[in-house]
Amino acid sequence: MCRAAGSGTVYGVRTSTNSPAVHGRDLSKVYGSGSSGDVRVVALDDVTVTFPRERFTAIMGPSGSGKSTLLHCLAGLDQPTSGQVFIGDTETSSLSDAQLTALRRDRVGFVFQAFNLLPTLTAWENIVLPLDLAGRRPDQAFADAVIDGVGLRHRLGHKPNQLSGGQQQRVACARALITKPEVVFADEPTGALDSKSSADVLGFLRRSVDHLGQTVVMVTHEPSAAAYADQVLFLADGRVVGELAAPTAERVLDRMKDLETAVAR
Amino acid sequence: MKRAMLRDLLAHKGRVAMTLVAITLGVAFVVATWVVSDSAAATSRGEGVRGDVGVSVRIADGAPELTVADKDRLAAIAGVASASGSVTGYAGVVGANGKLVRARPDKAGTGWDSSERFVLKDGRAPGKDEVALAEPQAREAGRKVGDRTRILLADGRSVDMVVAGLFTYRSLGEPDPVVAFGDPGVLGDSYARVELTARPGANVDTIASTARGLFDHATRTVDTGADLAAQARARADESARSSREGLLGFAAVSLLAGMFVIANTFAMLVTQRTRQLALLRAIGATRRQVRRAVLVEAGALGFVGSTLGAIVGIGLGLLGLVVNAPEGTSISLTITPTGILIGYAAGVLVTMISAYASARRAAAVPPVAALRADGSFAPRSLRVRSVAGLVTAAAGVVAIALTLRNDLSTTERIVNMGGGIAIWLGVLLLAPALADAVLRPVGRLLSRRGGPAARLGIRNSVRDSRRTAATTSSLVVGLALVCAFATLGSSITSMLASSIRATVPAAATVVTAPVDRVALGTDVLGKVKSVPGVDVVSADRYAFVKVTHNGSTSPTTMSAIEPDGVVRPEILEGTGDVRRGAVVGENEAAMIGARVGDEVTLVLDPATSITTTIVGLHKGMEGRPLFYVDVATVPAKFRDGAVTTVYATGADPAAVRAGIAAAFQDRPDVVVTDREGVIAEATESFELLMALMYALFGAAIVIAAFGVVNTLALSVMERTREIGVLRAVGAGRTLVRRAIRAESVVICSYGGVLGILVGVGFGAVMQHAMMGQSLWEFSVPYGIIAAALAGMVVVGVLAALWPARRAARTDVLAAITTA
Ligand SMILES: Nc1ncnc2c1ncn2[C@@H]1O[C@H](COP(=O)(O)OP(=O)(O)OP(=O)(O)O)[C@@H](O)[C@H]1O
Ligand SMILES: [Mg+2]
Repeated sequence: MCRAAGSGTVYGVRTSTNSPAVHGRDLSKVYGSGSSGDVRVVALDDVTVTFPRERFTAIMGPSGSGKSTLLHCLAGLDQPTSGQVFIGDTETSSLSDAQLTALRRDRVGFVFQAFNLLPTLTAWENIVLPLDLAGRRPDQAFADAVIDGVGLRHRLGHKPNQLSGGQQQRVACARALITKPEVVFADEPTGALDSKSSADVLGFLRRSVDHLGQTVVMVTHEPSAAAYADQVLFLADGRVVGELAAPTAERVLDRMKDLETAVAR
Repeated sequence: MKRAMLRDLLAHKGRVAMTLVAITLGVAFVVATWVVSDSAAATSRGEGVRGDVGVSVRIADGAPELTVADKDRLAAIAGVASASGSVTGYAGVVGANGKLVRARPDKAGTGWDSSERFVLKDGRAPGKDEVALAEPQAREAGRKVGDRTRILLADGRSVDMVVAGLFTYRSLGEPDPVVAFGDPGVLGDSYARVELTARPGANVDTIASTARGLFDHATRTVDTGADLAAQARARADESARSSREGLLGFAAVSLLAGMFVIANTFAMLVTQRTRQLALLRAIGATRRQVRRAVLVEAGALGFVGSTLGAIVGIGLGLLGLVVNAPEGTSISLTITPTGILIGYAAGVLVTMISAYASARRAAAVPPVAALRADGSFAPRSLRVRSVAGLVTAAAGVVAIALTLRNDLSTTERIVNMGGGIAIWLGVLLLAPALADAVLRPVGRLLSRRGGPAARLGIRNSVRDSRRTAATTSSLVVGLALVCAFATLGSSITSMLASSIRATVPAAATVVTAPVDRVALGTDVLGKVKSVPGVDVVSADRYAFVKVTHNGSTSPTTMSAIEPDGVVRPEILEGTGDVRRGAVVGENEAAMIGARVGDEVTLVLDPATSITTTIVGLHKGMEGRPLFYVDVATVPAKFRDGAVTTVYATGADPAAVRAGIAAAFQDRPDVVVTDREGVIAEATESFELLMALMYALFGAAIVIAAFGVVNTLALSVMERTREIGVLRAVGAGRTLVRRAIRAESVVICSYGGVLGILVGVGFGAVMQHAMMGQSLWEFSVPYGIIAAALAGMVVVGVLAALWPARRAARTDVLAAITTA
């Protein structure tokens, strides 16, 4: 996988010039065959999305609208029924399991809603796990920046069960960033957190885009969380139904209400 | 409530299956043991007893034999249909190596007849100049039907005969013969036994009492065939019972191992369902209801598992019988309700008891646990358990420290062994704390060197030290037993060897009989003496006797030796000069509570005893003579006719050896060897016994290995989510597989090392308590230890195969989307 030198980002995050960080083309995901009692569910319906580099994008939509499915397909955790996904220049549908594994390890970061960490590893070990798996040593300067960014320096030796939910999510964020991935996917990372912890996590993601030159794609239900993003993508019934640049909580809320009434109709 | 639990159980088929496997295995081994011993009893009973004898007239030990005239007198008794005399005499089958087979030859010859005592297995009845051989000895000698074989007779005569057939013998109490001559005249014309058959309608009791009237009671014994058959049957039952008791010891060990596995599995099963149980509590189930539900579930699982176990056990038992049965013998599979019931009781009870602790914990689950994210118990404190372990182990250490002396009384020996068992129990109790204390630093060390897979695996192996300890417990029990007996065995063999080395000079030529403890011919001693170049000749006259000291009598062994002979017992105290009195093994003296200067009486036979003073203690041990006395003090009967071993030395040991070997070249009843030969002979049978022990304790290790599989598989199920995350952040399937394998190898190695340490330690205690050797003088069975360690790594790798595959196949998306 050839990657050209970075486009002027802090700490030399590796990016491929020109191409967007992630691009999904004509993505469809259909569950079930629709035959004999098997309900056919179209989770994604011909979705085309592009996530530019060094941007923080939020994905919103009603429950069941296909947000998680989209994220999984984009991240190489799931295969779309049809369509193509590009991470940088790499088209993922043709990759083998081992190649996909390496892609996730080196070029994609994840933050799930909960259960992000391995309970037997300390915070520090969890953070460097992807590097460890790849047999690489962490870039100390970058690691310091990430750790200070999440504000967990004094907690590095703790096991996950000794950390609060918010701290655990911040460790997960740090782990997602440690490999300097092309994109970080987060599926409701603050879904189980209180507002203070949410603000910590979201603030960190924001700073990672601004200061570390990262690209973040985040699914969320909360307009206040979406307000941290540069842009918001709205999904309904497996389709992209709108976009909002420079969101604020009020504007997101308004759009959501519109969407819900539209769906109800 | 019940339905909720049942649904829940059914929803986790994998977990249930693993629990069932654990119960099934434990029960299967118990049932299999029972089936084997029942069938062995039935087999020996079915073959052993015959019903064709009306009345049997036998000679008493050493009495003159019955004559043809006696037989005719018996045949003339009213009601007797026929009388047949059994000739009995010395007959030794000479094997392919020119030496006798290992069956006592004294009464091994008899005449063939068509009575039910012979069961022809191959070939046909022997004619004149032909013989039939007992099957096992024919196999040992390497003779088949149609072969010619040499047979040694009394007085050194020998005959060459064709083997016409092979038989098994159905005894009515007499020793089983080895050679049946077509022409009994070879052995002489007097009888050791005359068997009478009765005419139809005749009363055997009347015949027996008439027969009794014909002879002197002191020299002839008359019994009805029915009485003898009943006695034979009782003996068969008795031997089946004692063999079953032996086997049950091993079954108990398997069951113990099974118990650990079942308990551990059940604990895991409940732990994994904490959330469901908490949810039940949250929606209003009482503690009692939860507890009862778990117990009912355990009972049901125990019942199903026991049923499967009983079926598998019967199969295993049948397999064991078929594998172990000598060729050509038929086995009768016997399944008694007792065996099955005990299997069920073990399975259901063990499961319920194992489940009880889990049920209590389950009931104590706070309803909020349902809301807690990780849905598991907070780790329980190990303090109580560890303190109990420390106290038990310390008590054991004290018990052993108090009984370190070599001359222990029987009670002290029991205290000593008890100390060993207490330490063992203590270690089992301490196992989780030890796992923490040992595996964490070791893990840290290994982590630094190994890759991420090793690191993750090692971490996982210490994440729940209770579980690791429980998993390894059955391994510890099985391996410790193997290693304890290996240590005892190698200590005994090395003691035997060193004891023989200390008493017999390396240069001595040793002359013995090929059959253990059978006296040599009366000519052997003289013949050795007359070999040119031989300077010193002396003999052992090994005998099983009784010793009386301070009014109590116990069985022992003695040898009458020449003073200043070749054999010099290794003296620990007093003198070795047998002219002044008896020299006794130190351990034996301690056992009977005698010291130097005490008077003891050796009872050689009911009519003969010698009273002597103990003048010295030697280092001898069981298996070698315990009492040495001067040959001049024993009656002639125990002198020349009782020589068991002759030792000879001379200026040129090689020439002496060659001369003696030449002198006995054509003597199948004499073996010429040297000190190392004696050692090999003494240790050989012992090592065979040890090998059998290992095989039987192996069952516990097999169960333990399944226990490891069980734990790993359940852990993998429990960690699906975690494995999903690991895969999501970039761990390949290989890495996941390696991590599980590393965890398994660590768990097994820990169990292996602990088991070996405990086993060797316990073996040292056993040899101290049983042999009266110093506690520290045990010999380490390096071979077995190396094999055990290597075996544990192999078990670790094998046990991980399936769980690791399962883990590697984890569907990432499914794992991370379902909590
Ligand atoms: N494995 C599956 N099998 C069948 N249908 C599925 C499966 N996974 C998701 N779906 C369906 O696909 C649709 C989209 O699901 P998805 O999880 O992407 O929704 P979402 O937008 O993430 O919702 P939420 O906000 O509740 O998390 C839903 O209708 C869901 O029922
Ligand atoms: Mg979702």
